[in-house]
This record gives sequence, C-alpha cells and structure tokens, in this order.
Amino acid sequence: MTFPQRFDLIVLGAGPAGGRAALTAAAAGLTVILIDEQSAAGGQVWRKPRAERVPARTDGQHGEGLRAALDASDVTLALGRRVWSVTEGFRVDSLGPEGSMSCVADHLIVATGAHERVIPFPGWTMPGVMGLAAATILLKSESRLPGKRVVVAGRGPLMAQVAAGILAKGGRVVAVVDQMRLTGWLGALPALATQPRLLAQGGGWMGRVLASRTPWLFNHRVVEARGADRVSEIVVTSASGDRRALSCDALVIGDGLVPGTEVPRLLSARMWFDRLHGGWIPELTADFETSVPGLFCVGDGAGIRGALQAGTSGELAALAVARQLGRKTEPARLARLRRAFARASCFSDAVAAMLSGQTADVARIGPDTIVCRCEDVSRSEIDAAMAEGIRDINQIKHVTRCGMGPCQGRMCGDTVQELVALGSRRSREEVGAWTGRPPLRPVPLGDLVGSFDYGDIPVPEPAPL
Amino acid sequence: MSARYDLCVVGGGIHGCTVALFAARGGMTVVLVERGSLCREASGVNAGTLTMQMTRVALIPYALEAHAMWASAATWLGHDVGVVVCDGLSLAFTQAEAELLSYRAGKRREAGAPIDLVDAKAARLVEPGLGPGVMLAGHCKIDGFANAYLTGLAYRRALIEAGVTILEETAATAVQRVQGCFEVDTTGAPVKAARLVIAGGVWIESMLGWLGVTVPIKVLVNQLAVTERQRPVMRTVIGIASGLLSLKQYPHGTTVIGGGWQARGDRERGGYELLPDRLVGNVRLACHAIPALKEARLARAWAGLEAETRDALPAVGPVPGVPDAYVCGSVHSGYTSGPYLARLLAERILGREPAMPLFPIDRLLDPFERAA
Amino acid sequence: MQETDTSIELVLDGQPIRVSAHGSVAGALLEAGVAWLRSSPRAHGPRGAFCFMGVCQECAIVIDGRRQQACLVTPRAGMTIERGGVR
Repeated sequence: MTFPQRFDLIVLGAGPAGGRAALTAAAAGLTVILIDEQSAAGGQVWRKPRAERVPARTDGQHGEGLRAALDASDVTLALGRRVWSVTEGFRVDSLGPEGSMSCVADHLIVATGAHERVIPFPGWTMPGVMGLAAATILLKSESRLPGKRVVVAGRGPLMAQVAAGILAKGGRVVAVVDQMRLTGWLGALPALATQPRLLAQGGGWMGRVLASRTPWLFNHRVVEARGADRVSEIVVTSASGDRRALSCDALVIGDGLVPGTEVPRLLSARMWFDRLHGGWIPELTADFETSVPGLFCVGDGAGIRGALQAGTSGELAALAVARQLGRKTEPARLARLRRAFARASCFSDAVAAMLSGQTADVARIGPDTIVCRCEDVSRSEIDAAMAEGIRDINQIKHVTRCGMGPCQGRMCGDTVQELVALGSRRSREEVGAWTGRPPLRPVPLGDLVGSFDYGDIPVPEPAPL
Repeated sequence: MSARYDLCVVGGGIHGCTVALFAARGGMTVVLVERGSLCREASGVNAGTLTMQMTRVALIPYALEAHAMWASAATWLGHDVGVVVCDGLSLAFTQAEAELLSYRAGKRREAGAPIDLVDAKAARLVEPGLGPGVMLAGHCKIDGFANAYLTGLAYRRALIEAGVTILEETAATAVQRVQGCFEVDTTGAPVKAARLVIAGGVWIESMLGWLGVTVPIKVLVNQLAVTERQRPVMRTVIGIASGLLSLKQYPHGTTVIGGGWQARGDRERGGYELLPDRLVGNVRLACHAIPALKEARLARAWAGLEAETRDALPAVGPVPGVPDAYVCGSVHSGYTSGPYLARLLAERILGREPAMPLFPIDRLLDPFERAA
Repeated sequence: MQETDTSIELVLDGQPIRVSAHGSVAGALLEAGVAWLRSSPRAHGPRGAFCFMGVCQECAIVIDGRRQQACLVTPRAGMTIERGGVR
C-alpha cells in the first residue's frame, strides 16, 4: 500500500457541484484532489457528449466549460477511479487503472449526486426497461436511442427532455405516460417561471413532443411490462382505471431521484428525512457543512435541487473550507451566492415537488412484484418478515436479503423503507435507513489485494489458545 | 399492577435468547428485554463459523456439544439457521505457522477436537479451491457454518412459541432489588422478576455495575466482509494457523471473510469504523487461501462487537453476592459455543445440575472486592 | 452532427458481433439489438442494463475475463463478453 498523499481538500464527484467546489478551492490557493468514477468530469448531468461539437447554451456547454477550467487549474484530477473507503480523518481509498490510491485531507466535500428512483411494478426488471436518467445518458453521452419504439413514463421534466431527445435523433416515441395531471403542470408554472431560461427549455421539449403528435397521456401510469427476454408491451392505466396495452421495445421510466448519501452515512453524520428533496439527507449548515466537522455535502447528494443550485452549493462549501484554512473570502461574494441559491429554490422546489410524495404508489406495489432487483425479493417476502414481528429495517434486510446485493440497496432502499413504514404504521423517521457500510461500491477483490507477498500481510497477534 | 415474572433476561442475543428459551420450556414465566431487536448485535452479524479450530482449548468440550446443537437446530430451535456441516481446514503457509498449527492443533486434539494434521496434497483433496503454498493443514470433520443473519428470526419464532414475553426496542437502564424481587427499569414500563440474567454482550460490564459488581470487559471490534455471489469456489470452512482468517462460501454463492481483524470502535458510542489497510490485509489472506475469490467483488464490510474477559474465558454463572442474579456472555467464539453454555446456565437456573461446569465470574473480580 | 461510426467486432458469448465503438459496452450492445445481459441469481429472470450510470449493477457481466459493469466499459475490438451472470 502506497503512503497516503495529503491535500487541503478532497472532493468526491466531478459533476457541477464537485467541479465548482474544486475550482473554487484551487483558486483560493488550496491543494485539491477531485475524484470521480467517470473518465471525464461533468457528472451525470454534464456528461461528456460523444461529439464535442455541441450547440451553444446547452448543458454540454457547461460541461465543456467545466472540463476546460479543470484542465487549466491546479486541481489534481483523479478520474476513472472508484472510491471504496472513506474513513475519519479524512482518508479516501480508491481503485483505478493504476491500482489503489490513498489520500488524506482535513476537509472533504462530497458531491456524489443522486440515483434514480423507480417504483417497482411487474416487469420492471425486464431488459429494455430502464431509467429516465439512463435514457438521457444514452442520448446525450452515447448518442444512442434506448430502442426503436420507446414509451417514456414517470414524472417530471426529464420525461419531456428524453422524449424530445428521442425525436430529435429520429427515434419514435410511442407515448409519454405521465403520472401528473395537466393541471399539475399548469399549477407549477408560476414557480417554474422564476427561471425563465429553464422554463423555456422545458416548454420547448414538451412543445416539440406534442407537435410531433406523440400521445401524452396525463394522469396515467405503467402497471406492467411484458415480454420474453425484452420488453415487447406495456400496460398503462388511467386514474379512472381504463387499461390499455402499448407495443414497444423500450420503456424508460423514472419516479424522481434519491440523494446519494453513502459517504455522510458512513461517517455517521446526522441525517434527516426530507421528503421534498428526495429523502434522507445530511443536516447541513448554511455553508453545507455536516455534523462531522470538515465534512461538507453539496449538490443533489445533499438534497435534490438540480444543477443550478449544485454549482452554487459547491462554491459556498469550498469558500467555507478556504475560510477555515485561513484564506480570506469576500463577504459580498458569499452574500451573492447565498442570494442566488435562495432565489433558485423556488424553481427547484417546484420540480422536486413533482418528483416526491409517492407513498400511494409504493402502497400499490403487488405482493409478487420484485422490490429488490439484485436478490429477487418480492414485496410479499418483506411483508412476511414484518408479519413475524420484525420492525428493524436492518433486520428485515438480514432476513429477506433485500438490499444485500451488489447495488448495496441503492435501487430498493427508498421503496423498502417506505414499505416498512406503511406496514408498521410508523414514520420514515422512525423506520430510519440501512446503515452505511463500505465499500462504497463493489470492488473486485483482485484489484483490492493487488500484488502482494504473503509474508508482508500485517497479520495481527493470534488469539489466546 | 405489572406481572412478576420468574425470570427477566436482559439482552436478546444468542445467550439471552437461549437462556430465556430453555427457562420457559422448563416451566418459568420469562420476559426478555432487548434494547434493539433480537440478535442484531454480535449474535446476528458474526461470521457464523461453527468451528473447533478457532475455539479456545478450554471450551472444546462445550463447542462439540454446541456444534451438535447447531447441526440439529431445526429440531430444538425449530429453524435450521442455514447450518451447513462440512470439513474445516486451518492452513499454514510458513514454517512459523506450521509450528503454531502443530502445537495448537495438538492441544485442541487433546481436548477432544478431532483434528488431523495433513499435508498440502491431502488438504487439496478436502478443498480443491486451495491456492499454492500450503505447507500443513489442520483438518477437522466437525466444522461448518450457520447463516448468522437468520439467528434472530429463528429465536423469535421459538421464543414466541415457548411463551416468552419479548420486549424489543426497550433498553434496560437500571436494576433494583426490592423485597426479594428484581425491578428492572427500562425505557418502557418497569419489569419485575424473581430472577435476573445479564446477557448484554459487550455491555455486561455496565449492567453488572447495576448490581454493584465490577468485571472489566474488553471489547473486540471484529471486522467482517462479504463478496457478491459468485460460482462455487470452495466447499469447506477455511482458517489459518493464527486464527486470523475465517472463510466460507454460502449456498447462494456469497463468501464471508472474517478472522477477527480489528476495526476501530467503541461500545459507548455504538458505532465503528473499518480501517482500509486491515480490510485489505484480511482480504489478501482470503485470496491467498482461495485464489478464485479474486474474481468476485467485495459487496459489504462491517464489524461485530465481541466481549472478552481478562482471561478470555466465559462469564457464565451466578453473580457473586447477588442471589438469583446470573450473567451469561463473553464466550470466545461465542456463536459456536453460545447455545450450549447458555443452556447449561438455564439448567442451573431451573435448579438442575448442569452437565458441564459453568464459568463463574468470581475469578474476575477485583481481589479487594472479592475479600470484601 | 458528427456520426462517423467506427465499427468494431466484439466476441459475445463466443460469437462475433459488430458494434459501433463509442460510448459503453452496454449501450453498444443495446444498439446492436442485444438487451438481455444475464439472468438474476435467484428467480433466474432476464435482466439488462437499467441505470447506465454504474449504480444498479444489472449490467455486471464478464468482460475480458473480469466481472465488470458494461455501462462503465468502453468497447474495444476483440473484447470478449460473456453474458449470463452468476450461475
């Protein structure tokens, strides 16, 4: 194992929040390392597009700006590296093409983003069914269509973006199956209008989809995906119970986003349940510092607020770190950033509201529906554990194996907690969340052990005989 | 008025649950008070190894009985807890380890554990998944493992069946002796019982303090790790001479890697932190023993808190100076031997002579306190 | 848009398959009509790439002899891919 490298600041995640944090801290004269699993900075929202020539004023433009700025900065870039351990102090261990690496810093900014929430329904495990965010990655970063005949479903503006993206590439959208009513969208308009550029962008997507005569089924939801080795048909229902089947070869569906909070949980930061902003998030100061001194959480991993506020939160956190390390920061700059963050909340909270509050959808999950994809655990198995009198969320995991697979409970955690809350008539706060455990992502044992001599393994003293 | 139980057990791990179960089956009214949920600490998160080759010599006779109990868990507990009985190998890769293994296996054999020393070729016949470099191996046919995660569920069903009152999410906070009866204060309603068993794992030190008894208990923070599912790569329980590796693949394909490498933690705060270098060290041992593990990915790592007395022998017996109070815990390799030791204590509480001696804690008291 | 595809040949379950070289293995296979990547270990249900961002692990298959997430690996000519998952 190589000796850990020391920095003033370690930033985990090179999306809009982490990227800006790293740039801000480096500009303030701090030594910074920025670590990300992807081979290029930008995170999921500003993923490096396949073709670098992209029209101006798109997200890709922001991504390009970020990548160029990082390349020109003093930030040490550690891309294509999988962080598997974060411990007190802070020490961060990662694996990459060049083997294992350890670095340490007194300050750690976590900007690990979010992952998709899909509320289970029969057939959601079928090949050809994928997340809405997955589809944006395929479209933007790989320039590929999810299928030849695609149903876009779920809730929120991402549906419009994906449907418009498919059409722009010459693909076919069978229908947009929208859980929201049209009145829901209209009701959100005043709040969305506080960010005219973003509203215009979203309106443009929706307009293009509607203009293409693609059916937009408001107040409808997907109840089943069918097929053999790939989805071939989905069943949708309206609120009044009218069912119909739609033939397709891909279903992209998303019910919102869940903040990626593995690192603050691992470091035992105090968390709270904020349904509007995606669920369990760390308690934060105005500078985005957690209850663990020196540990900051920014971007969607600190609560779903979108890219607009992600950058601002990253900058504020980095400035706070700089201040803690004795650097001067302009009060006017702080005030401006805080104002910008507050101003953007009106828009982001309106979007977040569209994506949250899905207790009824979870309650509707059928007994035979698989909830935990990794371990094929159905709702009835979780209910059966509760019927035995088991209430502890970790114990339910032990008994059913739900959440024990390689995704480490990321895909099912939110749903299982909601099911346990429903089943035991407790709040999500009372039910809590699964304990955070390393590794942060599954890592190959072969990579973890590297090459070694048996005699060099620091085997502790044997126990008494 | 609250009912008065014949027995109150504080702590719902293997020890507490087993004492409660056999006391209830023996005709007592029993209440079990557990701060969290049943077998959620060391009893539920340990490596599930059922082995003689990591058991202390003094405990071998108990471990043999306990192994038989585990193997027949479906009968007396009503649930098989995923027990697999298989061969076990303790490996030596260096001359020093071979010497240690020969000595330790010999002592364990004298105590009754059927351990044979075999060469690399014979070891490979037992376990074809072994890597190169084995010099010597201890082979024991009485070995195996349980799925520790299922322990809580198994005991829950059995305790309910036996009529034990289970108070989960209820922490005991103090004990008074009032008119020949124990009054246990809890975070819920107080509990009254004629007899008391302290079975709170690493927390028995402070619990014994309620009774005015001081027994220092050391806390081991044992690190564990598990791979994701993979193809079958091994069929035995593997350890090394020093005892600092335990390795077994479950029928569903995951492999649990343990051996007692220490994480950082403390019992007061309750949390712990796994240290990356030790995790890597433990996993290196595992991959050295079974190279095909390198194909798998590490899915999760955690730790369990194990209690250890000054002489690393159990604290199972009456509490000195406090009639009708007992303690049950600190059993090294407690998952293997726990059920049998706890059953012995239940026998004693039921007024019968246990089949083997208990481990009273008088030996662990401060000499001045003992004199007083 | 610039769409000059470099077509390469991969070996999928022992059979050659042509895909375009950019993006991820999971994306390239999907584009080539290959959605099924493995069977789930318990119910043996069909699975394919789901999140495309390295989280869900549905696309963890054996690529060049190592279990890797197909959504995080760039396709290269001659790469061997074994679908099926843990058996």
